[in-house]
Amino acid sequence: MSTPTQEPPTPKSGTALTTLRELPQNVWNSIFRNPLPSTDLERSSTSFTNFFLHIHPVKVNKNTLRPAYTMGLGLMATFLFVILVVTGVLLMFYYVPSTTQAYDRMLDLRGTVAFGIFLRNMHRWSAHAMVAIVFLHMCRVFFTGAYKRPREFNWVLGVLLLLVTLFLSFTGYLLPWDQLAFWAITVGTSIAGYAPLIGKQMQFVLLGDTTVGQEALLRFYVLHVAVLPAVLVLLVAIHFWRIRKDGGLSRPEKAPAPAPDSGVVKLKKVYGLQGFVRGPFTKLGNVPDDSVYSWPNLLMAELFVFVLTVSLILVVSLLFNAPLEQPVNVMHPPNPAKAPWYFLGLQEMVSYSAFWGGIGIPGLMVALLFLVPYIDRTTHGVGRWFAKERLLANTIFLTLVILNVIFIVIGTFFRGPNWTLVSPF
Amino acid sequence: MRLALAIASLVVLIVHGVVFRNQFFHEWERHQAAYFEQAKSMSRNDRERAELEARSPRIEQVIVTSFGDTRVDRCTTCHMGAEDPRFAGHAEPLKTHPYSEALGDVQRNGRWERRHKFSDFGCTVCHDGQGRGLDTFYSHGEDEFWPEPLLGYVTQPNWRKDFAPKLKGMEYMEANCAQCHTQADFAGTPHVNRGRKLFYAMNCYGCHKIDGMSEGTLGPDLTEAGKKFKVDYLWESIVEPRANLATSFMPDFHLNQADVESLVIFLKSRRGVNFAETSLDRYEAHVANVAVVIPPGTAGEKAGEQLLGDRACTACHKLGGRDGGIAPDLSYEGLIRDEQWLGDHFVNPRSRVPDSIMPAFRFPAEDFQKITAYLETLKTPPPPTVDARTTFTNLCARCHGEKGDGNGKVAWYIDPSPRDFTKPGFLASKPRTRFIASIQEGVGGTSMPPWKRILKDDQISGVLDYVMQNFAKEPFRELKARNIPEKNPVASSAESVSRGEQVFELRCIGCHGRKGDGKGPNSLDILPHPRNFRNHWFVESVPDRRLFESIEYGVQGTAMPSWIDMLSTNEVGDVVNFIRSLQAGQK
Amino acid sequence: MTVAPQSHDKQLATEHSQMPRRRMLTWLSSFGLFASALLAVVSDWLFFKPRVTYGPNARFAIGKPDDFPPGTRIARDVERVCIVREGNKIAAISTTCTHLGCIVAIADTGFACPCHGSHYDQDGNVTGGPAPKPLPWFQVTLAPNGDVVIDKNASVDPGTYLTV
Repeated sequence: MSTPTQEPPTPKSGTALTTLRELPQNVWNSIFRNPLPSTDLERSSTSFTNFFLHIHPVKVNKNTLRPAYTMGLGLMATFLFVILVVTGVLLMFYYVPSTTQAYDRMLDLRGTVAFGIFLRNMHRWSAHAMVAIVFLHMCRVFFTGAYKRPREFNWVLGVLLLLVTLFLSFTGYLLPWDQLAFWAITVGTSIAGYAPLIGKQMQFVLLGDTTVGQEALLRFYVLHVAVLPAVLVLLVAIHFWRIRKDGGLSRPEKAPAPAPDSGVVKLKKVYGLQGFVRGPFTKLGNVPDDSVYSWPNLLMAELFVFVLTVSLILVVSLLFNAPLEQPVNVMHPPNPAKAPWYFLGLQEMVSYSAFWGGIGIPGLMVALLFLVPYIDRTTHGVGRWFAKERLLANTIFLTLVILNVIFIVIGTFFRGPNWTLVSPF
Repeated sequence: MRLALAIASLVVLIVHGVVFRNQFFHEWERHQAAYFEQAKSMSRNDRERAELEARSPRIEQVIVTSFGDTRVDRCTTCHMGAEDPRFAGHAEPLKTHPYSEALGDVQRNGRWERRHKFSDFGCTVCHDGQGRGLDTFYSHGEDEFWPEPLLGYVTQPNWRKDFAPKLKGMEYMEANCAQCHTQADFAGTPHVNRGRKLFYAMNCYGCHKIDGMSEGTLGPDLTEAGKKFKVDYLWESIVEPRANLATSFMPDFHLNQADVESLVIFLKSRRGVNFAETSLDRYEAHVANVAVVIPPGTAGEKAGEQLLGDRACTACHKLGGRDGGIAPDLSYEGLIRDEQWLGDHFVNPRSRVPDSIMPAFRFPAEDFQKITAYLETLKTPPPPTVDARTTFTNLCARCHGEKGDGNGKVAWYIDPSPRDFTKPGFLASKPRTRFIASIQEGVGGTSMPPWKRILKDDQISGVLDYVMQNFAKEPFRELKARNIPEKNPVASSAESVSRGEQVFELRCIGCHGRKGDGKGPNSLDILPHPRNFRNHWFVESVPDRRLFESIEYGVQGTAMPSWIDMLSTNEVGDVVNFIRSLQAGQK
Repeated sequence: MTVAPQSHDKQLATEHSQMPRRRMLTWLSSFGLFASALLAVVSDWLFFKPRVTYGPNARFAIGKPDDFPPGTRIARDVERVCIVREGNKIAAISTTCTHLGCIVAIADTGFACPCHGSHYDQDGNVTGGPAPKPLPWFQVTLAPNGDVVIDKNASVDPGTYLTV
């Protein structure tokens, strides 16, 4: 016979007081249902009952946490994006996307707004860093063969994210409305106009006019603060989801399982807690366990990358000011007029051939990037840097990367007025 | 890893702290605090002291909308004492802004009253600088990216060191007074007025256009020069025109520093704004579309000579006591050119000397007639000279140079350049008769004038001998007979011209240019410049024989090579026909 | 047998000695991060509070004392202030109605608001209508160059005059 549990009878006069006294504890418990984990069970349940934490698996492979493996680049890119969103929203409280007001607002941000100059620096340097880190992350994924089955689509998502990141940086570049911004975007959108058939139309729609002006500023602003961040968040969400469903980050093939002994129960079917998914999941004893709990290991690693990223950005923002050049003068292009640094490789190529340098070769490279996991169908060499089996693939990719970097370096340092070769020294 | 985390966390904290601290204790807060302190010590009663006690530092600004785009001037955030007469003796930035009658301020009841109130004008409309900035570097315009540094007070770091110091001085601010006070004789803008007079007196008006003042087209439009450029660029453009454009043919007018400064201030005042003008004024001026703008100070009935002075011809030419050092000597012009030539040349210099850089002025017809007539009356010959050397020095050296190297005073401004007699081979490879003819009759389409009415035959001979002996450095030698036809053996026809054009395009355009005007891509580096075949005065004065000789055997002393090995006689004949065909369109 | 417990003890001992270091590092990290977060929050508040606005100045010069002859009441609609001069005393009364913000007009009896019929007497006290509070008086000072300066951010007790 079960007795339903009851509240111990309390005197009527004390009920209200008790409720009041227990209020803080009740509020806390309703929000945080689990105590701070100290047992394995608690560590597991925290990972999948907390909204923010349930993006992580309960246990994560030790290799995932090795700094030398991923160098935390993907995380760094994400945290840079978070910094960009926070600083960006703050800057939005003072910036006006009007050709007559934008530059003046930048002056005010620099001069009168409390912390304006620092927030702007953070935003700018994080943006540059994000483009670089995203690129390095892509290189890491390639060199560790982490795009192979089953992770092909995640790689495609990654390339999409790279393009969105570049576009975000490009749209933001225009907003200060100074000579640097205006002419860089003029050059960049002119390159876009070289696409066959659709180029001119695309340029017109992007700019909202035939030349860069108020319409372009407004469109770029909307893209930069609303549309592209939303797209990026969506793609990042899918990107992370895919990581989970692909079984976590890639890792080297394990040594084969020991020969089944007698006495050990061989399991024919194993079902995951969350249903039927691919990839290794809850193990039941006959596989060497090289995974650790997400709480606290993964979270500490993430915290560390976060703090490292933030501290680097803070130090750089303290020491270096983001540039603000002369106000826009549509009659007077600077000589030379250079695109943002990540497009300078393109601009260098464009100086040889407008179509091939601006559309043809970059288009080809992007298409190849998308197709990488569908071209390389081998499954070996995953989870290790520069695996010998993948010499060809790595060599090709590294060559293209280096070429790209060389072009960017030439465009940045070795090109002077009229795009003639000059010495930077 | 915990250690690294701890270090990174502390770095984060330290940076937060530093940034936080930097947001307080601004420079302007210190200045304001200093102002409050000192104002308190000068207070007359407790009430004032209490009011000052209650004030705390905050950003002061004036928003001005009456003068173009909205200006937000925050200068008074540091310059707190600008309107406080008690601070007249203090140092900047607390010093009182000066009062003076020159600024239109008046004294009333023993107190100055400011004519140009800060609440109405702000600060930057007179001083330039960056109103929105709050530290000295930005607000004074010391940042080289800011287009309007404090006029007369600030030089930017990238300005040339050799004249940056000359760009300081309160007189530079007159350029901004002229945004409203546009009258030519306004007492408060003496430098602008002087610069305006120099604009006419030094003949700038001939080449440069300024809306409402002049119509020159040879040089850049200066209507908004003050808006587009900073004072260092304006200064450099006057003293060293080729510093910013290597192909500029703007002469060096040898102006002294005071003149350059006045011109710079005048040009800086040309900002394309006139705040004194109403929209209606502007519209009426726009619609009126005044075509001919006559520089001030002349009247139609003045004599030619006076007109010459008014029009500033001697800013370039030599005449009377003045010599601009840029253009030929007009002292004997009546003996050199006839009236027809002078008239045509004056109205459009390029109708007689196709590559001349003399501006085409827009004077009324009678001004042209009067000046031409006056020049025709200059028939006094030069004083007689004892020897050829003196003759050469007095008459020839201005263009050909004392050393006969084609580097005379005005040589740089003349196209085709005066002949360099020291170039080996040139003099020695031409018949003497040709040189005699050149001196007597001049060389058509060039600045080499006919001297036959000034120099007698023996004088000409003497000068020629002088040149040969002293400059040619080669004895005159008998020329080998050259097989050159007297007349073009190929008859002129459309086919011949067409063939000639093809040869020309294949061989000649690198120097002589696609249009045959001597402006091919290689021409920039060649002296003398490749011949301009559209100079019909020249080409028609030259016989076929000479053209043949030049093409087949080249021209020693110039970059024209010999083509006899590569072109047959018929091909050369076609080219000659082509060249002659270019003249038809030039008349 | 003797080896195991010893090494076991040693292990525990090293762990124990490491604990303070680890704890300190953890504490340092937490302190650094939380303090930064706090500074960041305070900084954000300061960031959001505008240091300049682009409207008219709250503190402005209205002219010289002679511009306001004795016995006159001159209303300045742009600045929303009424200058009262009595003899050689000057005061400034707000002309923004305390009901809902319309500009009150000067009437013989004082001020009257056209919007909802609030009435005030000569000193700005409410004599009728829906206005909840009297019209505030602003601080009037004399600047060193002789201008009369009104400060709308500083209210003074009604009846406070500046003697010129």
